[in-house]
Amino acid sequence: MDSFAIETKSLNKVFKTKTGFWKNKSKSTVAVENISFSVERGELFGLLGPNGAGKTTTVKMLTTLLLPTSGSASILGLDVVRQTAEVRKHIGFAFSSSRGLYNRLTAFQNLKYFAELYSLKNDYANKRIPMLLDLVGLADRADDRVETYSSGMIQRLHLARALLHDPEVLFLDEPTVGIDPVGSRELRKTIKNLLSLGKTILLTTHYMAEAEELCHRIAIVKKGNIVALDTPEALKRRISGESVIEASVQSSQVQMLLEKLKVMDRRTVVEHTTAAEPEKLSIRTPEPGKVLELLSPFLNPQYILNLEARSQTLEDVYIAIIQGDQE
Amino acid sequence: MTSFRWGLIKQQMSVQFLVRTLNPFFLGLFVIQPAVFSAVGMLLSRAAGNSTPDLVYNVIGGGIMGMWSGLVFTSTYDILGDRRNGMLELIVGSPTSLNLIEAIRTLTNVLSGLFSLGLAFMAAILIFGYTFTGVNFWGVLISLVILLFSMWSIGVFLANFLAWSRLSGTFVDYLEMPIAFLCGFMYPIRVLPVWLQYISGAVPIRWALEAMNESLLGSFDLNYLVVHWLMAIGLSNVFIVLTSWMQAKVHDSIRLSGELSSI
Repeated sequence: MDSFAIETKSLNKVFKTKTGFWKNKSKSTVAVENISFSVERGELFGLLGPNGAGKTTTVKMLTTLLLPTSGSASILGLDVVRQTAEVRKHIGFAFSSSRGLYNRLTAFQNLKYFAELYSLKNDYANKRIPMLLDLVGLADRADDRVETYSSGMIQRLHLARALLHDPEVLFLDEPTVGIDPVGSRELRKTIKNLLSLGKTILLTTHYMAEAEELCHRIAIVKKGNIVALDTPEALKRRISGESVIEASVQSSQVQMLLEKLKVMDRRTVVEHTTAAEPEKLSIRTPEPGKVLELLSPFLNPQYILNLEARSQTLEDVYIAIIQGDQE
Repeated sequence: MTSFRWGLIKQQMSVQFLVRTLNPFFLGLFVIQPAVFSAVGMLLSRAAGNSTPDLVYNVIGGGIMGMWSGLVFTSTYDILGDRRNGMLELIVGSPTSLNLIEAIRTLTNVLSGLFSLGLAFMAAILIFGYTFTGVNFWGVLISLVILLFSMWSIGVFLANFLAWSRLSGTFVDYLEMPIAFLCGFMYPIRVLPVWLQYISGAVPIRWALEAMNESLLGSFDLNYLVVHWLMAIGLSNVFIVLTSWMQAKVHDSIRLSGELSSI
């Protein structure tokens, strides 16, 4: 028996598009480049990365919806290209979208249809569908048309659909997008329950807190490449020598304070957020004492309204890596 | 060898009826469009000096037109709609082959077309007072079954072609009227120029329809009917072979290009 639930080796995906009517021009776009990783059985593995990083393309190759340009990938030891039909029996997947269901059908009718696509016996499907609808909190809306559902409810119905045939490996592509905080918490609880049942889960998300709470290991993907792969704790340790100081600053004083901070060396990175008043300076530095010493004389309502030092979060690590000053 | 999947057939047909057929657009397509074609046919026939409308080419022809249009549009919307709403990915990603789904969907679409034909027959009896005496009943029935098979073979071919690319839907619009004109839905094939008759000879629907029309007109010429039935069955099989050849290529092609999804 293969020890890995998911394994990829030098996986590549290049999309070729042709433009022009008379003179065809071919354009190649590298979506995934040389991605290799393995996921143990029963592990929850996270893929993080900005939009267009190649997360969904990777998931689509692993779920047999896209053919890799080169490299290989296997699910439970089954090759995703050569043993497509077998792979499909063992995986479930849910993409972040309000699409992918028949709106004119009820939740029950949609699941019944997918139960047939997955060759579930009628009796088994009739017991499992209400159980899954209950699990995702849609039991009382089972007979309502999907067109009357909110995006969060559709997302939960997608999870129920993905679980219909009780797959061993589950791919969840941004499952909490569009779901309110209470719904997200419920969904995270459901994901943890699935994990306790021994499922292997590959999750992509933009929400760092979600990744930190759920994932055993995380791969950060940037421009089609994995640029970091480790446990959330180990990733945070990578920049553990640094602290983050956040200052709420009067708009008129931002430039003056930025000038003051220029005395710090290049290891200190200042991010300036202008979206709200007061504006925010987020300073990542290995010398928090020196920064506090610089800023403390201005800690009064005319300059700095609030000054706060905190330890690194996964989000800080992610931003550091994606902005390219790590790795 | 996989077991015959009655459950899937039943479920897919029921979904197809609920999602596509029982939809104001498609109900209109099956009723309004054939009625308009029949009316135009009758007016042209009256303008040509005929006092009563032609049963085969005006009344029943309208019903055949409804069957064909329904098949072309539902087959097109099945794939385009599923691609647009993300269902195509989910269907392809399931262990059931897309080919089987397409075969069942097309069968449902073809059978839905019988509604159009049924209305045409009802109009012939109730409105125009045709009694259908002297009709070769078995000839009509066998021809109709073969006509449905011919339409199904073209329907599955179209469905696979449509799955190929996001742009393929554009080309299907060109097929609806030319096939109707080539196959003589509303007039006898013999009025077409000879070279067009040769082209129409490649479409199985034409042969099945000619056999049905002759049977409706009371022909019991077994030689004529058998030749037409065999031509329709043979050409339908050619389309099925072409479809089988195309299926594997389409399946790989859409997974290579990422065209399973509209986004």
